[in-house]
Amino acid sequence: MLKSLDPRVTRLPVVEIAKPKAQLDQFGTYEVFVEPKSGKPFQHEGSVHAPNLEMAYILAKETFTRRFTCSSLYVVDTRDVYVSSMTEGEQNVFDLIEQSESTNGTSDFEIYQLIKRGKQHVFLGSVKAGTPQEAMATAKTKLNTGKIVYNIWAIEANKIRFTTEEEKEYWITLPEKKFRDASNYKGGDKLKRFLEKVNS
Amino acid sequence: MNNQALKELLYKMADDQLILGHRNSEWTGMGPLLEEDIAFSSMAQDKIGQSLALYTLLQELGERDPDTVAFTRSANQFHNCQLVELPNQEYDFSLIRHFLFDTAEALRFEMLSESSYEPLAQLARKIRGELRYHTLHANTWIKQLGTATPESIERLQKSLEYAMPFALGIFEPSPYENELISSNIFLGEENLKKRWMEKVESVISQTNLNLPDWNLVKPELGGRLGTHTAHLQPLLDEMSEVFKIDPTAEW
Repeated sequence: MLKSLDPRVTRLPVVEIAKPKAQLDQFGTYEVFVEPKSGKPFQHEGSVHAPNLEMAYILAKETFTRRFTCSSLYVVDTRDVYVSSMTEGEQNVFDLIEQSESTNGTSDFEIYQLIKRGKQHVFLGSVKAGTPQEAMATAKTKLNTGKIVYNIWAIEANKIRFTTEEEKEYWITLPEKKFRDASNYKGGDKLKRFLEKVNS
Repeated sequence: MNNQALKELLYKMADDQLILGHRNSEWTGMGPLLEEDIAFSSMAQDKIGQSLALYTLLQELGERDPDTVAFTRSANQFHNCQLVELPNQEYDFSLIRHFLFDTAEALRFEMLSESSYEPLAQLARKIRGELRYHTLHANTWIKQLGTATPESIERLQKSLEYAMPFALGIFEPSPYENELISSNIFLGEENLKKRWMEKVESVISQTNLNLPDWNLVKPELGGRLGTHTAHLQPLLDEMSEVFKIDPTAEW
């Protein structure tokens, strides 16, 4: 304990004892990616709180795909999403990504791109690499079209809880659930008819 | 085709889903996590949608329209098992009920996808994906909380023991068991119960929970014949409140 006549000094944390950062006292977050229709690219939809990957999957399914259509979904721990820096204006983020030393790694990485600020990250393609940094560098040579991209994500595929082929039947009846779509209630029309009746 | 037997089967299935759908929807806005609140509410909606599909089949067999059937009968005219009408308690009970009931429901529809009554077989195939998610959801929660902390394990264990006699009431034999089996409409409650016990055992064995000895559990029967606990009528009164004020109300 530091001793000083100045109370601010005695309040300083003791620096010589290395302690781990406090454990989370709440659920961590998992990122959710959705394929809205078969053949359309996956896109980032948001995140859910969960105690583990499988719980995140079951919670994400209704939180993000309870309306309209969906053909597949996956979740991954937020800490397994590696992000590049964010650029602006005419700056293509791929131009800032440095070539990384090859590790001869053969893990699959899913690469996501942000092509409009304020929009979602959308799937760009898959690459093989040993590290997220190498995956981004490989994406730079293989997937960069020169079009301006503001941000890149790299996610190792084996960290992802995917939807299996058989599981895709979860969403078969989803397009019929129109009662979850607010516009289906035509509230404006009902209000108009009601007001006409009241005012006439 | 034996219509009486078929109608009895459809009524008890539809009533189970309507009543449990209503009970589970009581958690809307009060779920333990935002994401779980949404998931549980969605599945409650699915159950009511499935009951509507079954009541529609009944209408095609000459019964009254689904709204009238759902909203104008009194408790002793309902064929649901008593498990589904029990009031919500803590969330552990709702999860255990969801697990025990939906496991049976998914297996029942799996059997019915081969039914000789084609409209029911078609419905069973159509909603297979919905039921698959419901059981994944239930199994994942039971495995999670059944292995998490001493408190979560103890809570689930208590709820499991409380719910088990009522869960066995799901399989109360119909007066028409033999007709349903011989006409290949449905393989029967005894067959379903066997499959259900295996499935329940396989999930519970992955947790720190203990199943009671099946032979020592006395099933709570009577629901299929219209005998219910005191909890069903208040549920029906609440559910049909708007319909009784204005049967043509739309929203």
